[in-house]
Parts: sequence; structure tokens; C-alpha cells
Amino acid sequence: MSVPVIDVTNLSKFYGKARGIEYINLEINEGEIFGFIGPNGAGKSTTIRILMNMIFPTSGSARIMGMDVIRETKTIKSRTGYIPSDANAYSAMGVREFLEYCINFYNVQNGGKKITELSDMFELDLNRKIADLSLGNRKKVSIVQSLLHSPALLILDEPTTGLDPLMQSVFFELLRSENKRGMTIFFSSHILSEVQMLCKRVAIIKDGKIIQLEDIDNLRKKQLKKVTIEFGDQLNAQSFVIPGIENVITRSGNRMSCMFSGNINELVSFLSGKYILNLMIEEPSLDEIFLHYYKN
Amino acid sequence: MNRNLFLMEIRRNALSLIIWTMVITILISVTMSFYSTFMENQSKIAGMLSIIPKGALQFKGISNFNDLLSVLGFYSANNVIYMMVLGSIFGIVLSSNILLKEEYDKTAEYLLTRPVTRSEIFVSKLAVIYLNVFLLNFITALAGFICVELVKKGVFSIGAFLVLSLYTLLLNILFSSAGLFLSTLIKRAKPITTFSIGIVLICYFIFTLSKITESASKIGYLSPFRYARVDAINPDYSLDFWHLAYFIGISLLLTVISYRIYLKKDIYT
Repeated sequence: MSVPVIDVTNLSKFYGKARGIEYINLEINEGEIFGFIGPNGAGKSTTIRILMNMIFPTSGSARIMGMDVIRETKTIKSRTGYIPSDANAYSAMGVREFLEYCINFYNVQNGGKKITELSDMFELDLNRKIADLSLGNRKKVSIVQSLLHSPALLILDEPTTGLDPLMQSVFFELLRSENKRGMTIFFSSHILSEVQMLCKRVAIIKDGKIIQLEDIDNLRKKQLKKVTIEFGDQLNAQSFVIPGIENVITRSGNRMSCMFSGNINELVSFLSGKYILNLMIEEPSLDEIFLHYYKN
Repeated sequence: MNRNLFLMEIRRNALSLIIWTMVITILISVTMSFYSTFMENQSKIAGMLSIIPKGALQFKGISNFNDLLSVLGFYSANNVIYMMVLGSIFGIVLSSNILLKEEYDKTAEYLLTRPVTRSEIFVSKLAVIYLNVFLLNFITALAGFICVELVKKGVFSIGAFLVLSLYTLLLNILFSSAGLFLSTLIKRAKPITTFSIGIVLICYFIFTLSKITESASKIGYLSPFRYARVDAINPDYSLDFWHLAYFIGISLLLTVISYRIYLKKDIYT
């Protein structure tokens, strides 16, 4: 059995008494595109910073390609690309100068050609100063620098911030094609739609803990349904109690909307004695699934 | 050491090095150009200096007016502030920013994710500090030497000149090590340039105060300037072993502690 590309065991980080992450466990296999979703402050960047050895864990361990992220960080980084959430490169440098500086850390043949290829793909002007670039263009620089050495693992921390939809599409296409060639991708984001588009498996992180680790498809296939009911008379909220109603999204007048994970027959049976104007049972969107887990 | 990082840092700091070197060189040249005028107007200047408290001259390494007549005495008395204070400010500003800048500019996320260890980063940046401080000292000392040669009226001790230059270099390195040490103590990155400059100026102030105020003479031992001898025209002027040990020991200690802290430091951006 092959070694997981990322293997995180009981990883915790505390900043004094403040929680960073608590007992995170993750296993990401070779060739996967793995989504890491959570709201701001949930612990996504903390996890990534430990993987990249920018900060040290309070307890637990993390291994990348079978190597310890602290002791063997140099070897790991020679095979890993990283796109930070902040696209702050060395502002006094030119784009070409910065990318040449980045590629010179690796033993890359035809580095100049690689810089030109990737820059052309993202319509990046190599002759401009980084200080003069917009956020979107700085993000492109960040993307290009991460791919120059053809890494086996790519770690992305909110990579699309500032990118226009066209460039996002180019970027996702590139990620898919690199993935087909064997690259493992760890995609951290709070934008569910982009995770949904790319990833096969996803971990939801909340308050520093992983609350759900699931295939994207399974997550959708769960019994979880979005139920919207419009009653013919005024809704008595107290009377509407059935096992499986997990969180009411809206409740106004005679209309209510909720997530339901119980037995659908019980719901129908309960509703059969009521005067109903409209009933909708839908597949929830990933955002709604995420909100459901997050609220719980 | 990482060559790529080292070369980038050299390029990054080149302009600052050139400006500081030029400023100090110009100041030395201008000061030394007054030596001839000074010699021609000795009696008037002697009268003026007689009203200055003796201590105010002593901290510049002068015990009496005649010391200033020697070209080396004139050089050390008038240029020490440029070479020692400005050189130390250059060193501490460079060293206190060289690691920290990566954090507060948020570029550490690019540097620390390259195949380079913390140890290599530290050593590369340390080498840049040493090289910059050495080049600043070498060029300004060379400029000083040329000026002294051009305006001298008699012979002067080249050995004493070299010792004076070495003390300046050691002092500058000590403050550079202090800057590096301070920067590793900062948890949430922010520039500490003003604070660093303040440290050099406070140390110089303490040293000056201890020399001109007898009751405060003991506090001079707290200042590294106390151990950089500037009395270059003193017949027994030489590189004192304990002073040398002080500079090397403190610099080494601060550097080693900084290194150990940096290896384990959480880097936030």
C-alpha cells in the first residue's frame, strides 16, 4: 500500500491558551484533489503552516510523502509547491526577477522556458514591477511561482482570491491537467463552489477540529434534505417536532425551511394531517451542507 | 549557506550600503580637509578648546590639545562619531530587519516554502550582514587612510590606524549581532528600526555621559562604546585582549542565541 502524500496525526497547535487546531487527523493519498473547507479562523492556515514548517505544532505529527515535516522539511519542499493566501511577493523586484529567484532554489532545467510558458498561460507581464501589480496579477505571480519546479504536491491556501473568473477557469483547468499527470493537490478554501468543482474528498474544519471528512459525492448523497414547507394556516412552531429536523434555516409566517436527516416517511406522515400549500424536498447545495455541519 | 538567497540579499541591500558608505566617506573627507586649516590656526583653536571641559575631550580619546595636532589624533577625535555611531546604526538597522522584514512584508511564506532550511536562511543572512558591515568599514577606513595620507604633516602609526579601524569594525559587528538578536525576540512581526537606532544612540549617550560626568563614570561600563578604544595616539595604544574578547564573546553569544531562537521560531505573516 502506498504511503499517503499527507499524513497528519493528532496535530494540535495552541497559541498560549488560544486554540489554533486540535487533534487534526488527515490522510491524503497520491493523485487526490483534496478540499479543506472552513470559515476564516477555523484553523485551515494553521494546519498548512505546520505542514510547510512555518510554525511548529504543540503536539501530534505530520508527514508529507512519508517524511517528517520538521526534520525533513528541505526534501519535502523540493517536491512541494505552495500558494499562500496573501499574494505579497517582494515588491521591489520585477516579476521576472522574482520568478528567477524562486526557480533558482530548485534544480530545474530550462527554467526560463518554464517561466515564460506559465506566465503566458496567465497573461502575466514579466517586465513589470511587483509593486505595480494589482491583487489579481500578484495572485498570478503566486500561482506561477508554485508550479515552476513541477511539484508532486501542491498546497493551495485560498488560491483564487483576486483572480477574475476567466483566470480562475484557466487555473482550474491547469490544476486538473497537472492532477491527471499525478500531482496531488491540497486545496484550502472557504468558497465551497470551487472545492465542489475540483475536489473528490473534503474535510470540513470548524473551531480547529475536523468535523467531517467525506467524499464530495457521499456528502451530497447523505440523507440530508432541504425541506421547504408553506402551510395553509399560521405555523405553530412548537407543534412541528419530528426527529431529524436539524436546523431550521428560515421560519416566517406560514413558511419554514429546514434541513432534514430523518425518515422521510415520518415527515410525510406528520405532514399528512396538516393543511399544506406547498412542499419542496430538495438536495441541499454544498454551501447548505457546510452550514449545516458548521452550525451543529 | 544558500547561494541564491545570499546573492538576492546582497542585491537587495546594495543601495543602502552604497549610500551609507558614501555619506560616511564624505563626512570623513570633509572633516579631514579641515586639518590643514586647523594646523595653521592652532593657537586660536587651542584658546577655544581651553574652555571646553576636559572630560568632553577625553571621550574622544584626547587628553590635551597637542593630541589633536597629530593627524591620527585629529582623525580619531573627529571621525569616531561617523565611523562608530553611524556604522553601528547601519549594522543594527540591517540586522534587525534582515529576518524580520520577511515576516512583516509577508514574503516569509515564499522563502520558508523553498527547499532551504532555517539554518541555511540564518547563515545566508548572517553572511550578508557581516559582508555589508565589513565592506562599509573597509571602504570608509580606506577613505580615511587616504585622507590621513593626503593631509598628514609628519609620520603616523599605521598600526594604530589599523587597530582603531578594527575596534570600529568590532563595535559595528556587536551592534549588528544585537539587532539580529532583538529581531528574533519579536513574536508578531513589525519593524523595529527606530528602536534599534535608539539602542545605539542610548549606548553612545551613556558612554559620553560617563566620560564627561565623573559621578556617572561607572555606567560607562554598560556601553559597548566604552570598550572600543579611540585614544589612537596613546603610545601604548593596541588591541587589548580583554576588549577583543568582550566584542567577540558578546557578538558570538548574541548570534548563537539568535540562531537557536530562529530555528524554533513560529513565523507568522
